[in-house]
This record gives sequence, structure tokens and C-alpha cells, in this order.
Amino acid sequence: MTKLIAAALLLAAPAFAAAQQLLRLPPAALMPKGGGHEYTRPPAIPAPLNDIAGLDYPEPSIATSAYALDSLLSLAASNNPTLVQARLHISGELAKALQAGLYPNPMLSYEADQIFVKNDRVANTPGEFQGAIAQQRIVTAGKLRLSREKYQRRAHVAEHLAVTQQFRVCNDIRIHFYQALAAQATLAIRRELQKTAEDSALTSQESYNMGQARRPEVRRTNVALQRTRLDVLSAENAYQEHFRRLAALVGAPLPGGAVVGELMPECPVLTYEEALQRLIAESPELAAARAKLSVDQATVSRELVQWVPDLVVKGGAGYNFESQEAVAAAGLQIEVPLYDRNQGTVQQARSDYARQRREIDRVELELRDRLATTYQQYVTSLQHAFEYERLILPELKAAYAELLQSYKENRVDWPEVLMAQHDYFDARLTQVDNLMHARTQEVLIYGFLLHDGLRAAQGIAPPGHIDAVPKPR
Amino acid sequence: MSKPHDQNERRRFLKTSAIAAGGSLLGGLVGGHAAAQQPPMQGMGPGMDSMPGMKHGGELPKPIGEPQAGPPTDVSDVYDGYSRFKPGRGNSPDSDYYLGKLMPGFRSPDAAPAPFVAPDLEKLPWKMVRGAKEFHLRPMAVEREFLPGYKMNVYGYNGSMPGPTIEVTQGDRVRIIVTNELPEATSTHWHGLDLPVQWDGASELTQNLIEPGQSFAYEFDVHEEGTFFYHSHIPMQEANGSVGFFIIHPKKPFDPPVDRDFGLIFQNFFIEPSQTIADSWRMDWNWHTINGRSGPFTTPLVCKHGERVRVRIMNFAPMQHHPIHLHGHTFWITGHEGARVPKSAWVPRNTSLIGIAQATDFEFIANNPGDWMLHCHMVHHMMNHMTRQVGPRVRDTTVDRYLANLDVHPSGDLTKEDPGFRTPGYPQKMQGMKMSDEFMQTIWNRREVQGMRAMWPMSVMGLMTTLRVLPDDLYRIVMESDEPVEKGAVFAEIVRRFGTPARYEAAPKMKGRM
Ligand SMILES: [Cu+2]
Repeated sequence: MTKLIAAALLLAAPAFAAAQQLLRLPPAALMPKGGGHEYTRPPAIPAPLNDIAGLDYPEPSIATSAYALDSLLSLAASNNPTLVQARLHISGELAKALQAGLYPNPMLSYEADQIFVKNDRVANTPGEFQGAIAQQRIVTAGKLRLSREKYQRRAHVAEHLAVTQQFRVCNDIRIHFYQALAAQATLAIRRELQKTAEDSALTSQESYNMGQARRPEVRRTNVALQRTRLDVLSAENAYQEHFRRLAALVGAPLPGGAVVGELMPECPVLTYEEALQRLIAESPELAAARAKLSVDQATVSRELVQWVPDLVVKGGAGYNFESQEAVAAAGLQIEVPLYDRNQGTVQQARSDYARQRREIDRVELELRDRLATTYQQYVTSLQHAFEYERLILPELKAAYAELLQSYKENRVDWPEVLMAQHDYFDARLTQVDNLMHARTQEVLIYGFLLHDGLRAAQGIAPPGHIDAVPKPR
Repeated sequence: MSKPHDQNERRRFLKTSAIAAGGSLLGGLVGGHAAAQQPPMQGMGPGMDSMPGMKHGGELPKPIGEPQAGPPTDVSDVYDGYSRFKPGRGNSPDSDYYLGKLMPGFRSPDAAPAPFVAPDLEKLPWKMVRGAKEFHLRPMAVEREFLPGYKMNVYGYNGSMPGPTIEVTQGDRVRIIVTNELPEATSTHWHGLDLPVQWDGASELTQNLIEPGQSFAYEFDVHEEGTFFYHSHIPMQEANGSVGFFIIHPKKPFDPPVDRDFGLIFQNFFIEPSQTIADSWRMDWNWHTINGRSGPFTTPLVCKHGERVRVRIMNFAPMQHHPIHLHGHTFWITGHEGARVPKSAWVPRNTSLIGIAQATDFEFIANNPGDWMLHCHMVHHMMNHMTRQVGPRVRDTTVDRYLANLDVHPSGDLTKEDPGFRTPGYPQKMQGMKMSDEFMQTIWNRREVQGMRAMWPMSVMGLMTTLRVLPDDLYRIVMESDEPVEKGAVFAEIVRRFGTPARYEAAPKMKGRM
């Protein structure tokens, strides 16, 4: 038994040592002499951060522009490429409608029949008939009208999809605008918290000089200060990120600057039922799906007449070399729908139609599914935001004010005041977050859950469409 | 019923008689003798600034009072080398008059004892009912203004904390009907009295607790004399302020008679910042009261130059003993809460340690005019709600900067090197303390403080009060007139008469700063 344990230890020891070698050890500590024997200065308040801190500072000269939401939205309207894409999708469908309704061109041909037939004079005539024939297909059963109508309906779907894309872009701009606004507010509060930490460091020095703190405490406050300074840098970087993403969504370069606006949600608060009714009634995605059903209806109508034969008439004039006289030619062609009565395609179109009915249901259910999550976040963030605004922030502010007042009356120690101030500022950070979430969800709830404004604009390209013919139908 | 009332009567009488005499006696006192004071004033001329030790040109205020009226002539001034008007020891420690030990006051031995005065406290009235002095005592929750604007919630009796003084004479039979107006049970203990056990008030041990709204009658004969007190026998009620004086005058008046008989109850409380309710569970104490008030709201003990004064101090702190120190005088310890000490055992002292639930009586001749501190010498008892100094108070900034905008933290100067901080331990002197104008007005509105130096409220805090020894004419201006008295005028007058006027320094004008 003992042997076993020893063996296990022997095996484990090298592995343990190896694991230790993998640990990257921080730099060695400054080992001060033991304190408390003679006066020793406290560790100094640390200097601000190193060069990397200045790496991503926006140039101050241009950081003067201020952007409001409306101006960003109108910039995006003319610059975001997906909006142009969406418009081009409509044009594409309209072009198909035009093409599908064009009447077939006449055919002109030259015919020479029965060359080398004999007649009385010549053993081999150039032929019984040589002449020009004109042929025209006569389209029956309103096929062209139906095709055109079908593509017009498809253009209508593309219009709904363009609206969808517009919401995607606008909502995304709004969301990123509010996120940039929140990042800006967070940065401002982080800067306040840095001043609080600086005050703490100063207080720590004062406490040390009054024998009320030891060097480890001073070190801890110094470290807390430096971490707060890092938090400020993080907040600065986050703001830059949000601003740059906003610029990408707008589709135009934005000189660095500030965003101006209101973080507090402004729209009337919706119940879940209200939000759902609004979504079902007005969602452009759902409207597109409904419009697509009407396309599929048209497709069925169109395919139902496909079997009706077109008439191909032809006629011409020529010369009969046998009888040596000018003659005329005429013909009529009609397909006999004996085997192919387009049954398969009709069936396919009917299936597509039925499939699209389910697609509407699916879109609606998917919207419900997305709404459930979004609404939960919406209502949670509103509850937080309103309660922070109504009670939590005023209470923390009052607590801070009362302690300040008490300090003024020499009734509390300064570190307690700083702690209360930190709590208040920290809750303000949380509130910025609450408001940002509330605003984001408000945009989604009122904007039919659409976002992702740089996703390529969607065309009407559902599965099973019948486009694979040279002439669209 | 109470002495302050009597004093008002006396003052009104004096004023009326002055008017009736056809001249403004007090007006004369205030302004009439400037010429007589000219010689010392001349020394205060332009050359004053060059005098050594003179840092700024403080000029003596105009003379007030009637210096040449002098001390009363109908009493003996010096007994065996000890003068009632000049500090001194006298000729021999073995003399009856050493340090004024048995020097009588101005009061006739045949007169009734000097009225007992506990500043800022009332006396409990009584009626003779069936052969006993009947008192009605009501334990209750009380609001007490420790400092102007600081109304604290404590327990007490009859609307007062400490409760009103019960004052009887040795041999009286007393009936004290205690009606409990607290929401919780209580009992009342008569501390130090050797009474039949069923009236001792020790809860449960000797009686059932007095339930809220219920009454209990204590009735016994008083054979003791001296400084006693009553208090609740529920410990936390004691800690929350439930106490009052029980003064028993001797059947045979003590000799020598005193002119003044003052009583002070010292207490400690812990009251959180921005709180008004005393936390009796605490082991440390940040508010200190004398008769329910903190310095500088404690009312000075004012007496006349040459009087024999008795001060009875009772320590009712929950946790802390108080070394009580009087400036400018050496006193004789003449009694404790048990009884008067035989003269052979009197001890002269400047400081006396008074333990919890102990009372000490001391007597002295007020032979040194001026405003003298009387205080507990524990450093942390010489201030209220003591806090650490770090923060804006020791920087070049004020808290108002923070209060002005709660959403922004004012920038601190991290590079600033206050030269003071090169001294380890700096700062020790309390800094940046402020008192509001209303606060200062209330402090100054009392007659007892008229004519004190402008900055005096800076120094009298916590368990501190002052003993003012005033020449007769100044006493009358301060205590028996309504004349406005310039700040510092009485002090200056005492400097002029008894001190070194050439070295007089006026207090800087105090503007709400403390
Ligand atoms: Cu003390």
C-alpha cells in the first residue's frame, strides 16, 4: 500500500513540476523592509497609464462633430448599399414582368420543297415550291397576361422585402446609436469613478500620515486607482467600437465625434398582447410572406393554362417550279396535349402554393418565438430602468448626499462618503446599461424585431420557384 | 417653581428699581466710567503693535461695569492669609482657611441653603399629601436638543432628559408616584437611599415591573443628606438617559454656607451620523452631555467674585469614567453620593475622577475672575461625534464643492504636496469645523454667555462647560439685565482689572466658523 502511494507520488511529481513551469509567473515583488520600525513614506500615488493608453485616442481636433439620430438615419438612407440592393430587387421583378408579357416574335423562313421534282420540261426542277414563309405563334388562354401578373405580384413581394430591409437598417442604426450613446455615458461615469478612485488614493495617503492606514492598504488603493484608469480606457475603446460600427452601418465615413440623444425609452410601453397584435398586423416580413402566397396563386393559375395549345399559323408566297407559277403556302400548327398536359408542373405549383400557406404560419410562429425573447428583455429592462430612475438612483444619491452632509458636520469619516459615492456612480453605470437594453428592445419591439442592417438585401427567391426557362413565366 | 424663573423675577425687580431710582443704573454701569479707564487705555495706543508677543492689533473694547464699586465691604476678605478675591493658598495647610477650606461665602449662615441649580433642568414640583411630599414622575421617551438643531431621541422623565430634580430635606417623608408612559415596562431605583427593600425599585428582585400605563407609588422616609439620583433599573433605559437628580438638603445646614449650589449630570450616548435615536447597545460613545446638553450649548455656571461655590457632579455615563478638571481654582472634595465627607477628610484637587454612577461634591472660593473651563479631561470626551479628519477637511477644498453637484466628483490635485504632510501625524488639530448662523445665534442668545470671547464656542465641546467668575457689577450686567454686551467685553474688562491689558489680544471675528 505504502509502495503504491510512493509510486503514485513519483509519477505525479514531474507532472506537477511541469504544470508549474507552464504557469507564467508575474514579475517579482518589490520586497520592502518590514515596516513599523522607523518612518517610511507610503507608496506614492501611481502615475497615469503607459503609452499604450494613448494608442487609440481620437484626434481631438476633429472630435467636435455631434451626431443626432435623425441625421444618421438620413445619411444611411442614401448610403447603406443594402437599401439600393432592395430597390434593385423590385426593379428586377418588374423587368421579369415586362419580359414575361412580351408577345412572341413572328418567324420568317425560306422554304424549298421537293427539289429535283420532274416536270414536262425539265428532269430536275429546283423544286416544287420555293418561297418565303412567315410564321406566328398565337398565344392562347391569356398565358402572357397571367405571367406578367405573376411577376408583378413578385415585384410586390420585393417591395415588402425592401420595407423589411429598411427596418433592418434603421433599427440597426438606432440600436447602435443608443449603444454608442450608452458607451458615451458609461465613459463619462467611468471618468467620474476614476476621480473617486483618485480621491481614495489621496485619502489613503492622508490616512497613512495620520497612522490610520498601513502600506498594504495604500498599495491596495493605488491598485484600485490603476484598475479604474484601465476601466476608463476600456470604456473609451468601447465607445470607439460602437461609433465605428455606427459609421459602417451608415455606409459613409463619419469624422470622430459625439452622439447626442436621449437614452430613456420614449414610446408608450406595450403589453405583450399589444406588441404581438402590432407585429402580426404590420410586420413587413409577414406581409411579404402573404404577398408571396398571391404569387403562388398566380403561378398555379398560370400553370393551369400552360397545357392549352398555342396556335402557330404560317403562310407565305413562292414559286412552284413544277407548275411554273406563283403559289401561296399556309399552315397551322397545334400541339396535341395528349401526354403532357403540364400535370407535373401544376402539381408542383399547387404544392408551392400549399407550402407557402404553411410558410405564412411559420413566419408568424417564428415572429412569436422571437417576440417572446425580445419582449422578456424589453419588459425586464424597462422594469429595471424605471425602478432605477424612480427609486434606486434617488435613494443612493440621497444616501451619498446625507453622508456628505454628515461629513460636513464632522459626523462620518471620508472613506464612508467615498464608498457611498462609488455605490451611486456604480448604480448609474448599471442604469446606463438598463436604459441601453430598454432602448434596444424598444427599437426591436416597435421595429418588428428587424435588425442586422448590413445583411445583403433579401430577394424573393423561395425554394421551388419556376424560373428555369429562357422566357420567364 | 424653578430657580431660573426666580432669577428672572429678580432681574425684573432690579431693572424696575433702577428705573424707579430715576437714573439708568445699568446704562451708567455700561458707559459712565470710560474716563476712569483712560490710563490703561493709553498704553494700548499706536505703539501696541510693536509690543513683543502682540501679533495683531486687538483693541480692548470700551470699558463696561463699575470697577470702583469694588467688592462688598460687609464681609471679611482675608482669613488666615487666604483672600476670597485673589488666588492663593493662605498661610498654612493646617489652617481651617487653607485654600479657602472653611471660608464662608457671602450668604448668612441663618439663611436657608443656597438654592440648588442644575442648569437647563427643571425641578419636580410636589404637594403635601397625607403627611408626605408627593411627587409625580413619568418615565417617557423624550426629545432633547443636545446642541442647537440637534434634537435627539432618548428616554427621560416628565419631558426632560435628564429628568427633573427631586429636591427634599433630610427627614422628609416622600411619596413618588411613578406612572409609566413608556411602551415597555420599567421600575425606578432610588440610588443610594437606605430605604425599606420593597421600595428599592430593583426590577423583579423587589417589585413587579411597572407596565406601560400603570402607576406605582414609592413611599419612604428620607434620612440621608447629599447628592443622590434616581434612575430606571432596566439597564438599556439607563443607557438611554433615564436618570435624574435626587438632592437631599441636610436638616442642619452644612457649614460653611455656600452662595451657589450647582448640579451637573454627565452622560454619554452613541448616536449614528444623521440619526437622532441613541443606540444604547454601543460600546463606544460619540455624544457627551452635561444636563442633557453638549458643549458649547452647556450653560455656564455663573457666580460672583468671592463667592463660595459648590458643584455637584454626577457621572451617569454607561461605560466611562470622567476625570473632571476645573481651571483656575483648586477645590475641596466635600462629599460623594453617599454623604458629606467629614472636614478632616476633605481633599484639595484640580481634577477628580468620577466613576460611573458616582457623584462628587466639591467646594471652592471663586477668587479668580474670568471664564474657566470645567471639563472631563478624556481627550475623546472633549468633542462630539468625533470622526477622522481625512478628506476635503484637510485639503484646500470644502465639502460644499461635492454637495454642489452630486453627479460629478470634483477633481482632486494628486500632485499637490501639502507641506504639513511632511510631518508624520499631521493634522491633529480638528480642522474645517463649521457651525451655522442659527447655531451660533442660539449659543449667543443666552445671558450666561454674554461678553465671553468671540471664539469661545470653538473650545467648549462635548463634556465641557465653563465657570464664570464675575465681579459683582459685571455679574449684574450679564445675569440681571437685558443690556446688549459686546462679544469679549466682559473678558476684556476682567483683563483690564485683573490681568495685563497691554498684552490683550482680541479674538478674530468669528463668522460661523468653528
Ligand atoms: Cu470623560
